[in-house]
Amino acid sequence: MAENAPNDGAALELGFFLYHRVARDMSSNQFTVASPPADAISALKFSPDPDSTRIVVASWDKNVYLYDLRDENGAVGEGKLLQKFELQAPVLDVCFGETENEIYTAGLDWDVQKIDVNTSTQTVLSSHEAGVRSVVYSREHNIIISGSWDSTLHIHRPDAGSNPDSLPAIIPLPSKPFSLSLTATKLVVAMASRALHIYDLKALALLSAQADGAADNNKVEVEPWQRRESSLKFMTRCVACMPDDAGYASSSIEGRVAVEWFDPSPESQARKYAFKCHRQTAEDNVDVVYPVNALAFHPVFGTFASGGGDGVVALWDGISKRRIRQYQKYSSSVAAVAFSGNGKYLAIGVSPGFEDGKDDMPEGVVKIFVRELGETEAKGKGAK
Amino acid sequence: MGKKRRGPTLDEVMARPWCYYCERDFDDLKILISHQKAKHFKCERCGRRLNTAGGLSVHMSQVHKEQLTEVENALPNRAGLEVEIFGMEGMPDDVLKAHQQRVAAQFHQAEVERQATTGNPPAGGSAGGPPAKKPKLEAASDLKKRLAEHRAKRQEAIAGGSSGEGTPIGAGQAAPSPGGYAQSPQAVPVPSPAQQYSYQQVASPVYPTFPVPGGQSPAPGYGATPPPFPQQQPPPAQIQSPPNASAFPPRPGSLPPASNLPQRPAFGVPTVNAQQMQQMHMGHAIPSGYANGDATHKTEVSSSVDDLVSGAATEAAAAKTAESTEKPAKKDKSKPTRMIYSDETISPEEKMARLPRYSFVPSHKNTVLGELPAAVVTGPIRDSDTVIDPTH
Repeated sequence: MAENAPNDGAALELGFFLYHRVARDMSSNQFTVASPPADAISALKFSPDPDSTRIVVASWDKNVYLYDLRDENGAVGEGKLLQKFELQAPVLDVCFGETENEIYTAGLDWDVQKIDVNTSTQTVLSSHEAGVRSVVYSREHNIIISGSWDSTLHIHRPDAGSNPDSLPAIIPLPSKPFSLSLTATKLVVAMASRALHIYDLKALALLSAQADGAADNNKVEVEPWQRRESSLKFMTRCVACMPDDAGYASSSIEGRVAVEWFDPSPESQARKYAFKCHRQTAEDNVDVVYPVNALAFHPVFGTFASGGGDGVVALWDGISKRRIRQYQKYSSSVAAVAFSGNGKYLAIGVSPGFEDGKDDMPEGVVKIFVRELGETEAKGKGAK
Repeated sequence: MGKKRRGPTLDEVMARPWCYYCERDFDDLKILISHQKAKHFKCERCGRRLNTAGGLSVHMSQVHKEQLTEVENALPNRAGLEVEIFGMEGMPDDVLKAHQQRVAAQFHQAEVERQATTGNPPAGGSAGGPPAKKPKLEAASDLKKRLAEHRAKRQEAIAGGSSGEGTPIGAGQAAPSPGGYAQSPQAVPVPSPAQQYSYQQVASPVYPTFPVPGGQSPAPGYGATPPPFPQQQPPPAQIQSPPNASAFPPRPGSLPPASNLPQRPAFGVPTVNAQQMQQMHMGHAIPSGYANGDATHKTEVSSSVDDLVSGAATEAAAAKTAESTEKPAKKDKSKPTRMIYSDETISPEEKMARLPRYSFVPSHKNTVLGELPAAVVTGPIRDSDTVIDPTH
């Protein structure tokens, strides 16, 4: 019943209704997850495991929320809150570790922490010298990378925190990192001043293994594999890598998304492009330009979703350069989007942003929506 | 003894219902409507066929919770949802006129071609028609003569600046219409005036432009430097490259010989030399190649400044100026914009973190334990702190 809008129930003719019951598998189904955070969402991640339906959400209310879309019987439904972990300060980013029972967090308390879901224990991996904006985990290389406003990256091994000898390697950056994204082999760091570094993960993993006992707090200068300037003119908001390890998309505060390829050859570089999105025309014919807060690639189709300050989520085919679809506007800014490991679900974190300049957060505006995607809903259409 | 129909008359052709979204025409209004339902108003989710784009939009939002953004299978500039089309109803006047003109031009073109090949009189005239049966093939000499005439006309057209009245298709094209029909399938005449209207082709229903996600259509680039011109004609103000060419100004060397290009009557710009032209462009009028089509343009500018330097120096200068003045320029041309978040150095999260309610001062972690709610502290969390903190 959820696929039919509740407010037009009366208008539905029986035949129409039955028709949609039959067509149910094709149509999408959206629901909100119960017990959302009390304050703005800063990050939302699906477990990368193909059959996992776990979602972890970080919030400014200092909590990390772990949800599972499946109920006890394994049926996918509204989703429920499994556990909630309180930290000392607002949590700015979160990610799953090796299993769906390991969570890494980054927060305003300057710490990178590991949460063991089974035992509910929190372990500090390292402390930065400013708020930690992002944290990512590389399954291929078994390292945790955090990026902080102190303009450094910390590379940790999972035993950091429990093993006093396992110190993080500290990589200085030219600017504050705003967003991190990983592929199997690369790490993309989008920074302030439109700077962007691409690191080779293998080198970073090696580095973290050798870092122990090095002088000067394990600070290591590493030459990135590539240094780039953002192709967008304004501050980078988010970066997300293609699942096929070919390139990445980045978004800016000025309603724009760029798609680029890693391959430094001129042919590949000539393929890069950018486009406008998340804009609305106001009454006075002024284009209101919203920041593009979130990007996420579909793990199977290689298409991507963008979420903007306008409350809109759109799906794009980056190869054929087409918009696949755009969902109905959400009640407030989209803070985060994520696809499930098997690509069947799209989770959308909605919360009013700082951009509204509001100081108090009314009840019930922070929401997590999950769309059950139809078979081809996020699939590219191919060039026209 | 039925008379042999030679084909539909102009009226018949003009009366055919056709589809606003794809410009296809149909025998019957019913077929058109079912075409529209099947091709343009069908819900891709559940296959339901709606009557109009508006209907489909409502269906999508109510049933699938999605927003319809464009009509499927439509020509790039017709995919909008603003026009409510049902069969032939709701057709905007300008589009209708453009279509009619195009159909008429095509019809006449076909007519002329048929006359040329068969020698038959125009179709559909008087019912009985002159029964005169002529040999179907012209004598070789006639053909040659006509060819010579045609060539002469063409030369004349090129040299004299008459906008290609010599070619029948030109007559139709001389009237630019919003719909634009510059490249009708039959428009074979070689350097046809089609190129003159390449700007309109962007809006042409027939000419597929590459849709940029985000909606703005890339405009063809302008070359600001006129190529060396052999004759003492007023030089063409600009050479517009066809829309499928790169959005970048073509170098003089890569341009086709200028004599192949017809005059541009529509612009009526008298003698303007390259410098003046450039100044004009850098001053107020913005080369549209820079002002819109931003997506392609931006990457191109950044990636090819090097190319430019090695290329014509003037072009490089022009491009760089355009780049540096791009922002105000864009605002002149397109809509003014208002950014919701415009701080260039402080990210939204940092700004938010400065709010008093989120303030957190690590008081170097010794008093922290007390602040932690007891419920969460379930393991040996904090004692590892002192060991790990690299600053100590």
